[in-house]
Amino acid sequence: MRGRGGPPMGRGMMRPNFRPGPPFRAFIPHIPFDLVQCESTFPRAKSAPEEKPFTEALLKRNVDLTPSAPEQASVLALVSKIQTILDNLVVTPGAFEAAQIEEVRQVGSFKKGTMMTGHNVADIVVLLKTLPTKEAVAALGSKVQEELKLLEPIEGKVLTMLTNDSGFEMSSAEASVKCLITTIPPNLKKLDPELHLDGKIMQSHLAAIRHSRWFEENAQHSSIKVLIRLLKDLRNRFEGLQPLTPWIIELLSHFAVVNHPSRQPLAINGAFRRSLQLLSAGLFLPGSVGIADPCEQGTVRVHVVMTLEQQDQVCFTAQTLLRVLSHGGFKQILGLEGNASIATEMSVWEGVVVTPSDKAYEKIEKKEDEEEMEEDADESVRRKTCSVKQYQNIQSICHPETQEDADES
Amino acid sequence: MAHFVYPVPANAQPGTAYSAQPAYVAATPAQAAYGTATPRPGQAYESYPAAHATTQYAYTTRTQVAVTPAVSYDQPKAYYQPAPAATAYTAAEAHYQTVDFYTAKPVFTTGAAGFTAQRPASQPKPPAVQVTTASQSYAYSAASTPAVNTYTSAYNNPTTTQSSISGTNIVPGYDAAVYSAASSYYQQQQAAKAIGTWAAKKPGTQPFKAKPKGPPKTPQLHYCDVCKISCAGPQTYREHLEGQKHKKKEAAMKGAATPVVRGGHNQLRCELCDVTCTGADAYAAHIRGAKHQKVVKLHTKLGKPIPSTDPVLVTTTGNSTVSVPKATSSTISAVGAGNKTVAKSTTSSVNIVKKVVATPKITFVGGTTLRTTGAKTEEVKAAPEPAAAAKPAEPMQTSSDDLKDDEHLNILGEKDVAPVGHEYIEEVRNEQGKTVSFNCKLCECKFNDPNAKEMHLKGRRHRLQYKKKVDPNLQVEVKPSIRARKVQEDKLRRQSQKEDFWRRREQEDRWRDEMRMEEEMYWEQHRRYDMEYMHRGPMGMMGPRGPFGAGPGPMIRKPESSDDRHVNAKHAAIYPTEVELQAVQTIVSACERALKQTSDVLADSDGPKPEEKKEIKKEEATTDAKQTEKVKEEPANTNRVLKGVMRVGVLAKGLLLHGDLNVNLVVLCSEKPTRTLLERMADSLPKQLATVTEDKYEVKRCVEEAAIIVTAEKEPNPSCTITLTSPVMREANTTEGETVSVKDPPDVLDRQKCLAALAALRHAKWFQARATGLPSCVIVIRILRDLCQRVPTWSHLSQWSMELLVEKCVSSGGPNMSPGDALRRIFECISSGIILPGGPGLYDPCEKDPTNALASLTNQMREDLTASAQHALRLVAFRQIHKVLAMDPLPPPRFPRQRFNNPRKRRHTGSGEGTEEGAEKKEKKEGEEATTEAAATTK
Repeated sequence: MRGRGGPPMGRGMMRPNFRPGPPFRAFIPHIPFDLVQCESTFPRAKSAPEEKPFTEALLKRNVDLTPSAPEQASVLALVSKIQTILDNLVVTPGAFEAAQIEEVRQVGSFKKGTMMTGHNVADIVVLLKTLPTKEAVAALGSKVQEELKLLEPIEGKVLTMLTNDSGFEMSSAEASVKCLITTIPPNLKKLDPELHLDGKIMQSHLAAIRHSRWFEENAQHSSIKVLIRLLKDLRNRFEGLQPLTPWIIELLSHFAVVNHPSRQPLAINGAFRRSLQLLSAGLFLPGSVGIADPCEQGTVRVHVVMTLEQQDQVCFTAQTLLRVLSHGGFKQILGLEGNASIATEMSVWEGVVVTPSDKAYEKIEKKEDEEEMEEDADESVRRKTCSVKQYQNIQSICHPETQEDADES
Repeated sequence: MAHFVYPVPANAQPGTAYSAQPAYVAATPAQAAYGTATPRPGQAYESYPAAHATTQYAYTTRTQVAVTPAVSYDQPKAYYQPAPAATAYTAAEAHYQTVDFYTAKPVFTTGAAGFTAQRPASQPKPPAVQVTTASQSYAYSAASTPAVNTYTSAYNNPTTTQSSISGTNIVPGYDAAVYSAASSYYQQQQAAKAIGTWAAKKPGTQPFKAKPKGPPKTPQLHYCDVCKISCAGPQTYREHLEGQKHKKKEAAMKGAATPVVRGGHNQLRCELCDVTCTGADAYAAHIRGAKHQKVVKLHTKLGKPIPSTDPVLVTTTGNSTVSVPKATSSTISAVGAGNKTVAKSTTSSVNIVKKVVATPKITFVGGTTLRTTGAKTEEVKAAPEPAAAAKPAEPMQTSSDDLKDDEHLNILGEKDVAPVGHEYIEEVRNEQGKTVSFNCKLCECKFNDPNAKEMHLKGRRHRLQYKKKVDPNLQVEVKPSIRARKVQEDKLRRQSQKEDFWRRREQEDRWRDEMRMEEEMYWEQHRRYDMEYMHRGPMGMMGPRGPFGAGPGPMIRKPESSDDRHVNAKHAAIYPTEVELQAVQTIVSACERALKQTSDVLADSDGPKPEEKKEIKKEEATTDAKQTEKVKEEPANTNRVLKGVMRVGVLAKGLLLHGDLNVNLVVLCSEKPTRTLLERMADSLPKQLATVTEDKYEVKRCVEEAAIIVTAEKEPNPSCTITLTSPVMREANTTEGETVSVKDPPDVLDRQKCLAALAALRHAKWFQARATGLPSCVIVIRILRDLCQRVPTWSHLSQWSMELLVEKCVSSGGPNMSPGDALRRIFECISSGIILPGGPGLYDPCEKDPTNALASLTNQMREDLTASAQHALRLVAFRQIHKVLAMDPLPPPRFPRQRFNNPRKRRHTGSGEGTEEGAEKKEKKEGEEATTEAAATTK
């Protein structure tokens, strides 16, 4: 398969084929159907259905999901204390020897204002100038803990510090802050898995910084935040949507609310429905153009972090939910009534039987098939041929917030 | 050869240089002679100085140009003539300067004089070796651009008669650092002579020791000054003096400084004990050690000056013992560390110096200085003050200032190093909890001594590990080992190569850009020219547009994807066969002609004014059998009952599929069609059919359908349904129903059927206007028609709404959708709930009122359709489009490769069919078997 001439188009001129392998073929992604984008082609032939109860239910659900003021305050208090301590360490590098801190940044759902109730965890990324040895991380953790105790000696709150793969976590009774350790990019290649924290996790933390910056600049509209919360909730309740990472959900929400010919943000009901429609229309299926990650170089489609199976799973779950939604099952979808079985079991809505979609993805079982498939430049095939290890690599790089928000589920 | 090569650069020269060309030729033999015969310089001696200088230079040029003009060898007179030789030199130089730069030319001519003066000075001494090395250096100096400037100063120096000094003076021409080092030594030497600050240097130990030697030895204590030991008695003392150890030491002391230097660098020596330590800590340990204390005690006893007891003296000791590179050979490498390219050239000169002076100090100073410039200044040490003072421009000056301050404490660079990475030292405790040893996790080493721990933390190895594993910003002094230096050199060279590469690349790019602009202009002009004079530009004739294709170039054609191939293959499979098309064509044209005659007959019988009747004008595009006929009516022709016949449905739209043999025609009547009219037509039609064709047709009336069905008796048995309708029917619908209903004849045909026929007419028109021209649209509609026929779920989707849907999807999907993409988009569209109850529905453009083309579907149908499309979409996305299309997966096309799976392929088309089809049926909930089979076999 290698060394065979490519298609007759002059590909060599445009892009040298660095990688040996199947002949290069331009991958032209398919742009999936998006009803909002071609509304003019599909004028309404009948009056729009009543949306008010649906909108109200959405807003109610959002209120339920938003953390209460005391919750937010407790998280905020802890975050600001830790931030202060870390900032002090940045300012006075001599004070702490085990590591030098370059920068401290808040990331994740707390920073973005999309925190969910019951998940009072804020994330702080600590960018080390030195290499992140496990000892240094532990030392930093204890240092922060010490300082925290100094800050509020009277309260005598139980503060625990636990180190983990991504850094350490400071938790008090009602809130916890994850300090995600990473290092400056030049150090990343010096990492030794024996001594240091995992490089992929480091990279994901760096990505988290970029994500929160992007979010700050682009996704401040409250519809987006509400939608993010609703979709996260959806993801938590419906197992089929689990593969969606927080970052994908954020991008999808942004896309659903803002990406509109008129550039006017959609109302929350329209945006929610649109998210499901987009997912159903295969926005995150192989071959689709998907959503390009704004925080990665080149064009990285965010959904490629999901395995093909997961892409299928997300898609068919969304398809089932969309059908349920259109038959009036919004309460069940929002979790106000019923349970998550609507996505997996047959249900009846006003006499209409909704059969849940089933998976379409099949593993390529034979090598011969693979050979056949190799031909195509589509990424699904490329992914199939690339080893599991590589794939996990990609995945963890593009799964920045798996650490960050992992336990939101 | 010389003539051949030379003119090229010479042409680029100003006239003066050009005129000098013959002189150059004259000079070449000299260089040839020189290059081939080394003894020549010895001969040239007599005719020295100018002549020799020329040869020398010519040689240089030769190496540069790499041309040895043996042809002009027979012109020896020029060689011995000083004057032409000089000009030759200029010419050669000028020539050379094309490579470098112009301005230095005059400088060089003067330099020639200086050179001639200087050359012989160094020449005579060691002729054989010297010549070669010196010439080497010369070749280099010509090549190095900065050399020229310093050259003048170096060479114009008339006082440089002393070979050693001239030697040192050559040096700055190559490298300021070397120069400064060498001359600093020189000056320092002078200064040393005058002031005697020898203590700073290694050989200085000798004078230092000389001093203690000075006082008469105490007889009681038999002390060996050389070995720094005391002997119990005269006997042992004598024995000691005779001993090998002592002799060795003595010899070492008397000999040059070389033996003192150990393999390493940065060593600290305890003069008192003559112990060399590798680091400050080791040194400190030594000072604390018992052995040293013993010696100190001894010395105190002896009343000798003890450097070690006194803290100030410690520094002196340390300072004096700092010794860096290893004699001559290391000079080269030391210089190399500073500037790799200089290495060769300086070798000789430094060697000269060394030989003349015959002292290792030069190497010492030069080595240190250079190493300092090469490596970071941080580790400068023990550079003697005079050196720093003499060279203000020297890079190490700042550090030497530091040194002045720190000198007494900071003997080696390591001294100021703070221990790092405490936290990686693990204490290993025994059962009692007593620390028994330490374990450094970074370096993976163990040690028992707390002192050793400190030392380890400061040590280079640990620091390197720390730098590598913890803090990359930690400064660790570069170990100036030869190996490390080589690595560094390599790195530098690679870097410079890389830079060079990028510079060249950049230049190329720039050039390319310029070229592109020119080219664009060129083609722009040509285009204009073509347009003006030739109307159409034979661009193809003018050759390719060059590698830097201007403009967007040809549109990148979307490569045919696997989906496209499957869709196309499926399309080919469902496309009607030639026979079928022929049969349909025959029956349609027969019916049309028969209908026209029927119309005539009816009009004849009805119409009172036959002359006025007529005229149905059929505009039939003869080439396209599927073209709808357009009926034009003359205003006078209102009486005629049958006004025209039109093709509708799949026939008109060109959507015939394989197996589709039923086509539709619509006859427009001037009035509401009645049962009577239908009967009359049906009676008349067979007769007319017989007149227009020999084929046998069966005519069947079907009143409830408002149609006559004509079926051919010939093989594929195509049939043609002729529906009667009238525009009046629709008007009746919209305008006042009462008046119309009053007029209605009693046996009027079914209104809905008639309206449907009218709608079919409009749809056909709409289709031709909108869908036919749309790429992929017709293909996809055919594919979906097939799907609708095969799959029960899809059969609910009416033909018309399906067409509408496809057209909307394809037209909104951007230009040039490929069939595969278009099909996927349809599924996406349905998947996203367009036909679901909450969706917008399908607006029918062919109705006056807003109509939902999907209105007839029940919610359950919508649900099922959507679910099916959603599944189909995912099948398409996961490369199982063949399941959707009910066909075998296609093998990859093109790039024929060795097909090891041939048997499998065969199995597929043969027996594999059953299983495949089975799977597909499950998929699509019982697809229509016949169609699938047909598809599979045709494939």
